[in-house]
Amino acid sequence: MTCPVNGPRAISEFAYGGEIRPMPDPTTCSDDAWADYVFNRNGSPGVKREWWCHTPSNTWFVAERDTARDVIVRTYLYAGDS
Amino acid sequence: MPWRLLRFALSNKHPEPRMFTRHDTLKPAYDVVIIGGGGHGLAAAYYLARDHGITNVCVLEKGYLGGGNTGRNTTIIRSNYLTPEGVKFYDESVRLWQDLSTDFDLNLFYSNRGHFTLAHTDAALRTSRWRAEVNKHFGIESEVVGPEAVKKAAPMIDLSCGGHAPILGALYHAPGAVARHDAVAWGYGRGADLRGVEIHQRTEVLGIDVVGGKVTGVRTNRGNIATGKVLCAVAGSTPRVLDMVGIRSPIYVHPLQAMVSEPVKPWLDPILVSGSLHVYISQSARGELVMGASLDPYEVQSTRSTFDFPEGLSAHMLDMFPFLSNVKVMRQWAGMADMTPDFAPIMGRTPVEGFYLDGGWGTWGFKATPVCGKTMSYTVANDRNHDLITGFTLDRFRNFELTGEKGAASVGH
Amino acid sequence: MSAIAFENVSRTPRAGVKGPGAAAWIAALDLPVPRAPNSWLPLPGGLIARLGLTEFLVEGSEAAKLAAPLSPGVYPVLRQDTALVLHGARLNELLLETCSVDFRALNLSTRPVVLTSMAGVGVTVIPGEGGGMPCCRIWCDSTYGEWFVETLTGVAGELEQPGHPCNQGVTA
Ligand SMILES: Cc1cc2nc3c(=O)[nH]c(=O)nc-3n(C[C@H](O)[C@H](O)[C@H](O)COP(=O)(O)OP(=O)(O)OC[C@H]3O[C@@H](n4cnc5c(N)ncnc54)[C@H](O)[C@@H]3O)c2cc1C
Repeated sequence: MTCPVNGPRAISEFAYGGEIRPMPDPTTCSDDAWADYVFNRNGSPGVKREWWCHTPSNTWFVAERDTARDVIVRTYLYAGDS
Repeated sequence: MPWRLLRFALSNKHPEPRMFTRHDTLKPAYDVVIIGGGGHGLAAAYYLARDHGITNVCVLEKGYLGGGNTGRNTTIIRSNYLTPEGVKFYDESVRLWQDLSTDFDLNLFYSNRGHFTLAHTDAALRTSRWRAEVNKHFGIESEVVGPEAVKKAAPMIDLSCGGHAPILGALYHAPGAVARHDAVAWGYGRGADLRGVEIHQRTEVLGIDVVGGKVTGVRTNRGNIATGKVLCAVAGSTPRVLDMVGIRSPIYVHPLQAMVSEPVKPWLDPILVSGSLHVYISQSARGELVMGASLDPYEVQSTRSTFDFPEGLSAHMLDMFPFLSNVKVMRQWAGMADMTPDFAPIMGRTPVEGFYLDGGWGTWGFKATPVCGKTMSYTVANDRNHDLITGFTLDRFRNFELTGEKGAASVGH
Repeated sequence: MSAIAFENVSRTPRAGVKGPGAAAWIAALDLPVPRAPNSWLPLPGGLIARLGLTEFLVEGSEAAKLAAPLSPGVYPVLRQDTALVLHGARLNELLLETCSVDFRALNLSTRPVVLTSMAGVGVTVIPGEGGGMPCCRIWCDSTYGEWFVETLTGVAGELEQPGHPCNQGVTA
C-alpha cells in the first residue's frame, strides 16, 4: 500500500477505515433511511473507495481497492485535506 | 485388507451405491431451491425431506459439496454464548450434534473435549463470570475456573504467557467439542439424497426472478428453474445473492484464516481460546494442531492467505506454548466470513415473499449447522419463522433491536 | 565495546502541534519551518521536525516556545514519547532486522524524517551520522517504551554474537 505522504509501506502499517459512505442529514431523514445508513453495507465485491490510515503518522487517505482480488488501484489524499 | 475391497478390484462396475446420486439435468421446477451446498444448505434439505416430507427439492452448489466455509472451519462446537437467544439456540444445536452419527450411520468424529476461554485481564474475567451466570441460568454447564485448572487440563501451558499476558482464570465449558467437517456435509447430503433431494454440484445461481415481490424462479449456468421458494445459505457470498433480489443488509465480508501444524503426539485434549492474544488451538484426531486467530482487518471477497497471518499467530501461540517453537506449520487457508454488526446471524423470512435467508454466520456457524437445518426447514415449510430464530431476523436492524452477541464471539471460532 | 550504543533521551523537553494553521503559527513564533513533509531542521540545542503535512515536533530548549496561546486551526499534540539515540557500526543491521524501510537508501542531506513501524511499534526516526558511524533518533509512544527498548537491545545483542550471519567475515 502506498501512503500519499509516506510512500510505499507494508500493509501492517495501515488501518482500514471502511467504505466512504455519505451520511444523510439525521435531523431530516426518515428512521428507515437512518437505519440503512447506520447498519447496511455494500458487501458485494467491486472496486470501492475506502478510508485508510497510515498509523505511524496518523495520515488518513482514500484508497480505491478491488475487494474481489485485494488489489489497490490507487491512493490519494481526501479532497479538502491540506 | 478387508475382503469387501476385493469386490472393487474384481467388478467392472462400481459394486456399491455411490455416496450421492448423479443427476445429469435440472428439472424445470422444484418446490424448494436451496442455494449453497455447505453444511447449512444440506442440513436444511435433509430436514425438509425427513421432517416435513418435502422432497421435490434441489440443492445448487457452484463448486463442490462442503468446499465453502464448511470445509474450511476449525470445527469448534460450544453453546456458552452471552445472550439468552444465542444460548438457547446453540444449546439445541449441541444436543442435535450428539446423536447425528447414529442418525446418518456415518462417523462424524464428534469428540467432546471441554473448552476453555482464557482470561488475561480483570475485565475478561468479569465477562467470563457474567457469561457463566447467563449460561447456568439456561442449564448449560459453564463455570469460571482458576489458572490451576487450566494448567491441569493443559500441562504444557506457560501460565504467564511469556510474562506479557498472565492467565488469571478461564470460562470452562465441559460440552465443548470438535467434529470432522466434511463428514457433516456428506452425512446431511447423503441423508437428503436418499430421501429424494437432488444435489447439483458445479451449478451456480446467477439470478433470481422476483415478480410482484414474490420469488418465481432461479437462473443458473445450467438453465432456468421455476420455484416459489428459495433458501439462501451461501455464507461469504450472501451479499452477492441478496443483490439478486434487491435486499440490503449489514453483512460485510472479511477473510478468516486458519492453519494446521504437522501431526504430533497427542498432548492437548481441551480446546483453548484466548481473546486477548486473539488465538485458539485444538488438536485433531490425526495429531495436527488446528489453530486460528481473529478476522483479517479489512474487507476481501476471496479466499487468499497472507504471510502476516502465520507470523502473528505463531508469535502468540509461542507465548502460550513455548515448546512448540520447533513444530512446523503444514497448511494455511482462508474462508470468507459473512459478518454482522451484532455478531448474531440473520435468519428467516425476508421482505421478498418466498426468499428465506440463512446467513451472517461469520466465524461461528459450523456449530449451528444442525439447528439451522432444523429451524430453516421449518421456516421454509410453514412460511413462518421458527420460535428459536425470532431474535435473528433481518428487520432487527431497521427496528434498532440488535442481539449483541459480541462479547462471546469476537475471536473467530 | 558494544556495537550499538543506546541512550535514552526521553527527558529532553519536547512539544508538538498539528492542524491546518500549524505551519503559519510556528513561523509566527520565529521558528524555522521545514518546507517538505517528513523533513527536519536543526535548532539551537535541538531540532524541529515536520511529521507529514501539518504536524510539528520541537525538541530541546526551543520546545518551550510552543506554550504560546494557540490560534484557530492549531491543536496541541501531547508528546509523552520514549526517545532514544542509537549509535554504532551495526546500527543499519539492527534497523534492517526490525523494520521494512531501507535507511541506507535515504539521502541524509535532505534531512529525512521516517514514520514507520519497528518491531511492530509505530515510530518516528531521524537517521544521521556521527564520527563516521550511523546514528539515529527514534521516538515511540511511551506505553510501548519498555518493551521496545528491551526488544531492540535483545536484537542488538544477537547481532554481536559470533555465530550470527551478519558477523561472518567480520570475525574472521
Ligand atoms: C477459518 C474458519 C474457521 C471457522 N471456525 C469455526 C469454528 O471453529 N466453529 C464454528 O462454529 N464455526 C466456524 N467457522 C464458521 C463456519 O465455518 C461457517 O459459519 C459455516 O460453515 C457456514 O456454513 P454454510 O453451509 O452456511 O456455508 P458454506 O459452507 O460456505 O457453504 C456455502 C456454499 O454456497 C456456495 N455458493 C455461493 N454462492 C453460490 C451461488 N451463487 N450459487 C451456488 N452456490 C453458491 C459456495 O460455493 C459454498 O459451498 C469458521 C469459518 C472459517 C472461515
